[in-house]
Amino acid sequence: MAISQAMCTSFKKELMEGTHNFLASGGNSFKLALYTSSASLGATTTAYSSTNEASGTNYTAGGAALTNVNPTTSGTTAFTDFADLTFSNATITANGCLIYNDTNSDKAVCVLAFGGDKTSTAGDFTIQFPTADASNAIIRIA
Amino acid sequence: MIEVGMAQAGVVSVVTSENKGLDASHWADRATSRIVSVGGSCHPAIKDQAEAFKDQVQKVVMFYMEQAIKSDRTTLIALLEQNQHKDVAEIIRRL
Repeated sequence: MAISQAMCTSFKKELMEGTHNFLASGGNSFKLALYTSSASLGATTTAYSSTNEASGTNYTAGGAALTNVNPTTSGTTAFTDFADLTFSNATITANGCLIYNDTNSDKAVCVLAFGGDKTSTAGDFTIQFPTADASNAIIRIA
Repeated sequence: MIEVGMAQAGVVSVVTSENKGLDASHWADRATSRIVSVGGSCHPAIKDQAEAFKDQVQKVVMFYMEQAIKSDRTTLIALLEQNQHKDVAEIIRRL
């Protein structure tokens, strides 16, 4: 069992099928779900599942909605971004997360590994997205 | 010829806290990072100027975040006092 950082393979195919729309206005709704170290997630993940999802105070199954940022380009790379996500006043332990398309059948986008267990106790659990540029943005197509 | 590209996922960082929320300086730094990004490959003179601007933005964001927190506490304290919870209001006032 492990959480391996990956852009889901099914997502790459679905991009070509026009399944996902990341526009801030009129785009799909994307969510972020947290998982424990018992979860098995990676490139082969195709959709959200509640198996081995994290649980705790002020965390509900399915996670929370992300705020889309309009996709853009820099040089030959296209990328998109999300606003940071905080679970407030939460008691949670998580080892990684899954971003998925809540509008389109919970289809998986990417798996993000935290590199170890992260715990909040009656506090904030914040996921900070990387700098939105061609080298670091959360979702990039080069 | 079709050029093959690559789809990649970036690396997130996780920040947590215990028995309190993250403080205003954390959020001011995050907001500033979102507003101003200084490229690593730009000319040193431009980089220095951009860093100085970023510091100024951080100070302004920090100031107004603290004002927002004070305003919100004022609202909370008033609400609690109106509902006869003066002891709880006093705890918040001392924060």
